[in-house]
Amino acid sequence: MTTYTRHPSSFKDPSGFVFESEGKIYRQVNQFYAAQYRQLLDSGLYKQLVDRNQLIAHEEVADNKTGMSEWYTTLLPEPISPISYPYEWCFEQLQDAALLTLSVLKTALQHGMILKDATPYNIQFHKGKPVFIDTLSFDTYDPKQPWIAYRQFCQCFLFPLYLEHYLKTDIQKILSTYIDGIPVDFVAKLLPLKSRLSLGVWLHVYLQHSATTSPRANNKHTAATFSKKKLLDVISHLTNIITNFPANKTYKTTWSNYYEDTILSKEYLQEKEKIIREFCQQTNARSVLDLGANDGYFSRLFASHNMQVIATDSDNRCISRLYQEVKQKNIQNILPLMLDIANPSPAIGFHNQERAAFHDRIKTDLVAALALVHHLVIGKNISMPVLADYFNDIAPELIIEFVPKEDEKVKQMLATRPDTFVDYDQANFEQYFSKYFDTLEKKAVVGTSRTLYRMKRK
Amino acid sequence: MYIDPGSGSYLIQVIIAAILGALFYFKNIWWKVKAFFWKPKKEDTEGEDIAK
Repeated sequence: MTTYTRHPSSFKDPSGFVFESEGKIYRQVNQFYAAQYRQLLDSGLYKQLVDRNQLIAHEEVADNKTGMSEWYTTLLPEPISPISYPYEWCFEQLQDAALLTLSVLKTALQHGMILKDATPYNIQFHKGKPVFIDTLSFDTYDPKQPWIAYRQFCQCFLFPLYLEHYLKTDIQKILSTYIDGIPVDFVAKLLPLKSRLSLGVWLHVYLQHSATTSPRANNKHTAATFSKKKLLDVISHLTNIITNFPANKTYKTTWSNYYEDTILSKEYLQEKEKIIREFCQQTNARSVLDLGANDGYFSRLFASHNMQVIATDSDNRCISRLYQEVKQKNIQNILPLMLDIANPSPAIGFHNQERAAFHDRIKTDLVAALALVHHLVIGKNISMPVLADYFNDIAPELIIEFVPKEDEKVKQMLATRPDTFVDYDQANFEQYFSKYFDTLEKKAVVGTSRTLYRMKRK
Repeated sequence: MYIDPGSGSYLIQVIIAAILGALFYFKNIWWKVKAFFWKPKKEDTEGEDIAK
């Protein structure tokens, strides 16, 4: 037996659990799940899903690493990094994850199996595409029974998609509060009246709402029988609803046309690109966290230098646009995620340990903060010493741009508020950051008052 | 990752499936009527996956 640490999110399912041992992530299959696990493999379902890149591949390790008596086998799944959660995804990412779940379910039914749960936490973005990661979610199918995870699917996928579709606002962050998905009564109250005209909303939201709130409905489920055809009808209907959400959202946000609308000139971008390219050639970093990535102009540049890029922005539409581009061009090393630096995803779930906080989960060799410092200092009132301390926590290496008060953008920001930022200048910036970092390179962006730095943590 | 069966979730699926079943049934008839009168060029549209 070797030493192992059970993953704190893996405690609900008696079928097995995820653990870490000697730097690798394993999944133990318990005797409890042995029959279903054999069915998954012997029916050809595993092979079909893995061939289609819908399920994560694993290697079987015939070694009881935990020494537990209920052990059946140990799986070593293909490693996935970074791990992201639905409250960091844009609409289209959740939509694709939902469609993957339904597709996996449909394929499972063809092999006499069914999904026993339907949560976005079973899905990760791997090489640019969603992939199902919970190998122990498959159960033997009983055609007389409806889908046990139907309600969970609605709460975790359909309802957030409906809310964002009808309210035209960024609602997915709410999933960090509702770890098991948004309750139906909440959704029924939030959706506008016109949504009642949709058959899908009427059936899956309002009808479900009235059925779950009716005391008669709660103890009657054993009487009625179901069939495979009925289940396939429900799956087809859900698939249609989710596929047919209009592709391009019309609502505009502050940042959605940043590069098109702003005063930033083409020359500035070209000059900046030239410097960042030089920085990329100097660094040995293999992974980068791009903060305030907007539409991913520089994320693509990092990606073209073979770095694994996590492109983050607090703006839902920017992330959405980048995700669609990544998908269309099949870019495997950019993961777009929503992140508000002033309020990153917290640790949530039981014991505050089920889902780790953003910066505990996502570690990179390099952090890029381009044209960002002024937004944090002046826009969010995060003082420079506090900011330097934050970057010290997250960045072994840092590419950072300083935008002084003389800059047009900063002038605009200060035009509508009193200038209380007395220490906001380049000398102080350098001093505060030198407490934690050594400056390796410093380059002025020609034609502007901005400066780019490449720094290394002391 | 594992869930408890949702109370009420079973009955609601029975109702939804019944409604969808009826809708698809009538849609199917509609397709047949349409095919009879309009005579589509492609033979296979009649048997198309009606659930779509």
